[in-house]
Parts: sequence; C-alpha cells; structure tokens
Amino acid sequence: MSSTSQKHKEFVAEPMGEKPVMALAGIGEVLGGKLEEKGFDKAYVVLGQFLVLKKDEELFRDWLKDTCGANAKQQRDCYGCLKEWCDAFL
Amino acid sequence: MASLDNKSPQEISDLLDEYGIKHGPVVGTTKSLYVKKLKEAMAKGKKAKPSSDKTYYREEEEEVTYVYRTPSKSETSGDGGSYMRSRREWAEGEYGHDTSYSSYSSSRPEYKGRDLVDEPYMYDTPSTYSSNSYAKPMKSEPVKPKAQKSSRLIPLWLQFVFFLALAAFLYLVFSNMEANEAIKGIV
Repeated sequence: MSSTSQKHKEFVAEPMGEKPVMALAGIGEVLGGKLEEKGFDKAYVVLGQFLVLKKDEELFRDWLKDTCGANAKQQRDCYGCLKEWCDAFL
Repeated sequence: MASLDNKSPQEISDLLDEYGIKHGPVVGTTKSLYVKKLKEAMAKGKKAKPSSDKTYYREEEEEVTYVYRTPSKSETSGDGGSYMRSRREWAEGEYGHDTSYSSYSSSRPEYKGRDLVDEPYMYDTPSTYSSNSYAKPMKSEPVKPKAQKSSRLIPLWLQFVFFLALAAFLYLVFSNMEANEAIKGIV
C-alpha cells in the first residue's frame, strides 16, 4: 500500500460525523472552498456522492476533477481516503 | 448531437448502457458527469452497442477451455429430456452462480457445456446421483494432473530428497549427543 498522509489516517480512524469537507485527504482550502460552493459542505455529502457513483474509482475521480479541479494526486488521495473509510465503517 | 442535457435520467442511463459506460444512478449531482462522458464517447465515435445477452457469449467463451465432455453425454442421454427445461432456465438465470458453483468440485465444468449443464441438477435427484458420482472421478482426472504440474516451482522429488537429507542430518546430530539414560535404547 502506498504511504498515506496524516490526514488520511486521522480521517479513516473514526466515523466522519460532521467533519468539514476539508478534512478529506487531498482536499485543502482551495478545493474545499470550491466543493462548498457547489453544495458539498460536509465530508458526508462527498461521501454520498462517492456512494452514488458506486464507489467506482474512475467515476469518482472524474467527478472530483470536474467539480473542483482536483489534480491526479488529490483525486487519488481523496478516493483512497473515502474507500478506506467505507471499508471500515460502511 | 441531440441535446443531452434535456434528456431524462432514464434516457441518459440507457445511453450509458449502450456505450458500455459503467455508471450509477443518474441523479442531480451525477447527471452532468454522465452527460460529459456521453459526449466524449460520442465524439470518439459510437462504440458497438453491446447486446443484452452478452453474458451468453461469455459463457460460451469459457466453454472452450474445457475439452473434456464426451463421457457424460451417453450417461445423461436418458435423463436429458426432463433436464433440458431446467438447463434453459438456469442458463438464463444469474451468472453470479459462477462463484457458488466453483465451490462444488464436481460441478466446475458443467455450466460450460450444453450437455454438462445437466450435472448440477443431479444433486437434487437421487435417480441420477449414481451417474453423477460415476462421472466425478473421471472428471477430476484431466483437471488434476494439469493443476499438479503447473503449481510446483521445485519438483516434488527434489523436495523429498531435501526432506530425507534433513531427517538424516537431524538423526546424526541426535545420535551424537551426550546420551542420557533414557534415550540409550534409541541410539
């Protein structure tokens, strides 16, 4: 498994509850702001989108790129973070 | 290009299936993504529409990998009549059964061949059980030697040689130890 960031580890360690979207790995201030503008103001809303896209990597990454302009690394980090969270808690 | 944005979610879903694009439900947040994907697919040129019975082909494809099927033909010829119906029903049914059937060692090749498909149903009927069990040992033979030969990196005889050498070595060590009263008889 590739190395995961501190943010990733913290996120997947517990239920996300009301964590803001910027708590997701790969999503910083800029991307977080863009997502919030589109209505994805909490991590669980992005989770909802992830699930609606059937947890498919390609679809989710495409969506993320379209919605907030995330680059490949950010997409990968965010996808990995959500996937692992789902594996643990869903 | 018809205005994709004006299409209903159902139409978009159907179009995605036509292009073979894997997708989830077309909801408010996913619609624009799928519309974009459809536009890309259309721009690339229309891919062939996959037919809904594509899975039939998959089945037949796998059929080719198993050459062995002849002996069971004669056995099941008598029972063929009543089972043809069930075969057809089963063939149209879920293909998820693939994984469940793989756990039954004797039913592995069945779903490939037309004639062999009768086999799984023999579990239910005692009258044909004898032919099924009769078929079992024969069926496993062609499969076994293939699996055995391909799975070993180090040849079996070599493993035995090493084992014997190790055993002999340990015996020597053991026999040259300072002998206690108790193990005098062994050395």
